Amino acid sequence: MSDLNFNVSTAPHVRTNETTTSIMRHVLIALAPALLAGTYFFGFRSLIIAAICVASCVLFEFLYEKIMKRPVTIGDLSAAVTGLLLALTLPVTAPWWMCVIGSAVAILLAKQLFGGIGDNFLNPALTARAVLLASWPVRMSGAAFVNPSILGRVDAVSTATPLAYGAKLAEDTSMLDLFIGRIPGTIGEVCKIAILLGFVYLLVTHVISWHVPVIIVLSTGLFTWLFSGGGIETQLIAMLQGGILFGAVFMATDYSTCPMTAMGQVIFALGIGLLTAVIRCFAGYPEGVTYAILFMNIVTPLLDKYIKPGIYGDTKDKKGGEKVA
Amino acid sequence: MFKRSFKGGVHPLSRTHEGKQLTRNKASQVFSPEYVCIPMNLHLGAPSEPCVKKGDIVKLGQLIGTPVGFLGLPIHASVSGEVVDVSEKQQLGPKKVMCVTIKNDGLDTPEEPMPAIGTCETAEPKAIVERIKQAGICGMGGAAFPLHVKLTIQDEKHADTIILNGAECETHLTSDFRTILERTDDIVHGLVAIMRAMNSERGIIAIEDNKPEAIEAMKKAAAGHAGVSVCELKTKYPQGSEKQLITVTTGREVPRGKLPIDCGVIVTNVATAAAVKSAIEDGLPLTHRVTTVTGRVKTPCNLLVPIGTVVKDMIEFAGGYDGEIAKLVAGGMMTGPAAPNDDFSVTKAMGGIVALNKKEAISYEEKPCIRCARCVSVCPIGLNPARIKQYCDANDMAGAKENNVMDCIVCGCCSFTCPANRFLTASFKNMKDRITLASRLGGKK
Repeated sequence: MSDLNFNVSTAPHVRTNETTTSIMRHVLIALAPALLAGTYFFGFRSLIIAAICVASCVLFEFLYEKIMKRPVTIGDLSAAVTGLLLALTLPVTAPWWMCVIGSAVAILLAKQLFGGIGDNFLNPALTARAVLLASWPVRMSGAAFVNPSILGRVDAVSTATPLAYGAKLAEDTSMLDLFIGRIPGTIGEVCKIAILLGFVYLLVTHVISWHVPVIIVLSTGLFTWLFSGGGIETQLIAMLQGGILFGAVFMATDYSTCPMTAMGQVIFALGIGLLTAVIRCFAGYPEGVTYAILFMNIVTPLLDKYIKPGIYGDTKDKKGGEKVA
Repeated sequence: MFKRSFKGGVHPLSRTHEGKQLTRNKASQVFSPEYVCIPMNLHLGAPSEPCVKKGDIVKLGQLIGTPVGFLGLPIHASVSGEVVDVSEKQQLGPKKVMCVTIKNDGLDTPEEPMPAIGTCETAEPKAIVERIKQAGICGMGGAAFPLHVKLTIQDEKHADTIILNGAECETHLTSDFRTILERTDDIVHGLVAIMRAMNSERGIIAIEDNKPEAIEAMKKAAAGHAGVSVCELKTKYPQGSEKQLITVTTGREVPRGKLPIDCGVIVTNVATAAAVKSAIEDGLPLTHRVTTVTGRVKTPCNLLVPIGTVVKDMIEFAGGYDGEIAKLVAGGMMTGPAAPNDDFSVTKAMGGIVALNKKEAISYEEKPCIRCARCVSVCPIGLNPARIKQYCDANDMAGAKENNVMDCIVCGCCSFTCPANRFLTASFKNMKDRITLASRLGGKK
């Protein structure tokens, strides 16, 4: 008899190197350009807001898990991602206590109360943004979005929100400004180049696929055109302005709150595009991305339940039905 | 060139050429151990009944186990010598199994070969199937399903295509690859015999494109045989899974819950076809196979061994372990079971063993699912593994069944790709076994 005693475990005996932590690290790296661009346009305070949000998100997650005697999961970096996402959706003028309250809402209310990572049905950062927007509307819009680099060129202070510019924006801000980020807005959403850089990084590292962001942006343009008409330039502006690009790339692709099947993801993305256009064109809110994504988050469990991927061999009487010679 | 593939799948160990580099250029060496310990459950189905006793002198190829039941197969002595023990021993399975241990006299004194029935091109179809049964041939790719049962089909069904599986998509293993190179003509003849037995028009030998030499050799050997062709497959796991193989080679899908024959196809392994040829033309039963001994052993190699060779002896022949070993996998890394020790025998379906050191034999801790949907995108069947796992964790058999757990082929892709290291495949296998057992018990009541 052999006296050797080996490890016994179930197959497969090899796994990818990818872990939850490595994926979250990729997301943090992908968000870096947006943060840096925000710092360039809005000043050093952007970094402070990001630091406050990340630190308080991680702290809240740690405290909650300690108190509830659950395994501490701050090492997976998901709380840091939530913090950074939240910071990038805030105006640079947001006071520190709003950052902390937002983090508490994101981590405690939206994430941990529903079971922690993977079990939350709403995007934590977006939920926090929605709560802040509803609680302190003035601090979350208007003068809050002043972008120092364009002061004097556009009277940003007097307009209610970036999207309220409407025709004025088309006159005063060039497409290039819109693309580079010389416009008012939240820290992370203004610089489209930075967001696209992050998007490419996420694609290259296989963290997300292109479907959801691309469908959201295109369908927003399409539905805006259906509802309000206008030329190709109007649609381009509709697709670039506001938080649509940032939301499409970083918020809608959140694993926990988007459907798992390809078909489900397409419906999810189309839904966001449609709702964004509806809110922008018909509702009182100038910015609809946040609510559109949150609404589709709620629809996600239904999509997962009813949209099932096609199963191998599930074709009726395919016997002998040869497709390829 | 367009290479055929399927939806989903993964590329395990792609940076190290699936671990195949270690042995792919090693021709199979003959290894004749001092003892063989032949378990009576070499095939799927009821274990055979030993028909020799301690002290008997047996010849190579002599019947030592008689078949039991519908899926039974005869078992033959793989060496000549004296039977020194007939007793129950622990093999890889959960229960102890009757084993016949033979002390090898090293002479390989052959038993009378089975009577001639002609060549692969002339033998009667019925005689071919009968001979396959007598020779104890089962699928040598892993499942060990008795071939004659596969070939015994209802009258209204017809297998117009026979596929030989030479994909060898598992990691590390190169035994099929070596068999293709070393017994190329035998494989083609075996295929022709099976095609004749089933009155099939087409024979396809499917090989992954990481084995260009094998494809080249097989194309040459297949030329001139009517209906026989070689199909080049893209290298991707699980390309050699029966269902995936059928779809990429013929464009057909096996209907859910049915067998390949229901879409007119029979699949078997390349090594099996070579065994068929020996059985028909040389009258020899299946007593030997090529198996890969690789991983952390001093000299990784391919060995042509008698069935029943104890793994420990093969490791010794390969120069022993290289450093401290933490895990021993019987088969490839994706589906092979892990062995508790090296005291078990080579079966008819064991393609190889892989020794892993501590660094490679990582124990994984299950973390919460982050719903990244990687498992959904790699599942070659089109299931939602993350969702099924929820039902498995909740012990909900009905829910798991509703989400089609029974369609799972236990390929391991979902577990492989999961960033949270969840034990998806293992849960599904367990759930499938439980559902099968429950329905069997329910049927008896």
